[in-house]
Amino acid sequence: MKAGVLVCVLGALSFGLLACVAKVAERKKCNSSALVVWLFGWATLAMLGRSLTMSHPAHVTTPVTAIAILFGICAAVGYLAFQVSIAVGKVTVGWLMMNLSSGMPALVSIWLYGEKLTLLKSIAFGLAVLSLICLFQGNRVEARQSLSAEPK
Amino acid sequence: MWLLLMLIILLSNGMSAFGLKVLSVWGLPPNIKFPYLTIWYAAGLSCIAIPMLLRKVRGGLKEAGWGALIALLSIGGQLAMANALDSGVPGNVVFPVTIGGSILVVAIAGQLFFGEKMSAFSWTGVAIGLLSVVLLSVS
Repeated sequence: MKAGVLVCVLGALSFGLLACVAKVAERKKCNSSALVVWLFGWATLAMLGRSLTMSHPAHVTTPVTAIAILFGICAAVGYLAFQVSIAVGKVTVGWLMMNLSSGMPALVSIWLYGEKLTLLKSIAFGLAVLSLICLFQGNRVEARQSLSAEPK
Repeated sequence: MWLLLMLIILLSNGMSAFGLKVLSVWGLPPNIKFPYLTIWYAAGLSCIAIPMLLRKVRGGLKEAGWGALIALLSIGGQLAMANALDSGVPGNVVFPVTIGGSILVVAIAGQLFFGEKMSAFSWTGVAIGLLSVVLLSVS
């Protein structure tokens, strides 16, 4: 159990470093679109390798392909927006937004599949909205501060 | 611009994982996951690469290297979560620690290494958002 928790911490470090590396790449003036293309290219190769070495390969139907294309495009657009956002904003806020977005499938599942809206989920959604309001207000305050700090 | 980007992240990145939910509702076998993700990544790659090619934007070795590192860290994080779950740590510990922890790592790195100065409103937003993400991953 203790080793498992330690592995969780390593996972947190790995994901955290991912966002930090994205910020470093931005500072090194990497082209955002090209970075996303390479990232998705490497991931495609890794998944293709895993799919081809499966002992019992699955049959991919047309609806599954359509769903994969639709949500794959969403993923690339979302990651590209994150990569561009850390050039104009803060990586902490961008990364938080990437993680807060995990509430979207939960919300859609409630609407589409009639999943139960538990008290815990309601509190989480409420806090997410409150967090967004604070972040947007914070962004306005920081923009005003940087404007007033500019030499006249 | 920033506000628009945040909305795009919320909607696009959030919905990107919804396909796996659809697959589970359809009752498809678990081994569909890898071919599904192959098409998923290839579609994402194409939707950014095609406009780039049309605009003749080139992506060089620098982007290839950083892209590989980001991909490796993403796989590392996913493997760590899978291993922790396999070793018997409950999901309501694995997801909050991994996801919440990553936000803390980025917040600390943002202050120490990237010189990000945030207002009290932004810090409050990050703290409340962290709590929300932890609650979402538990629920």
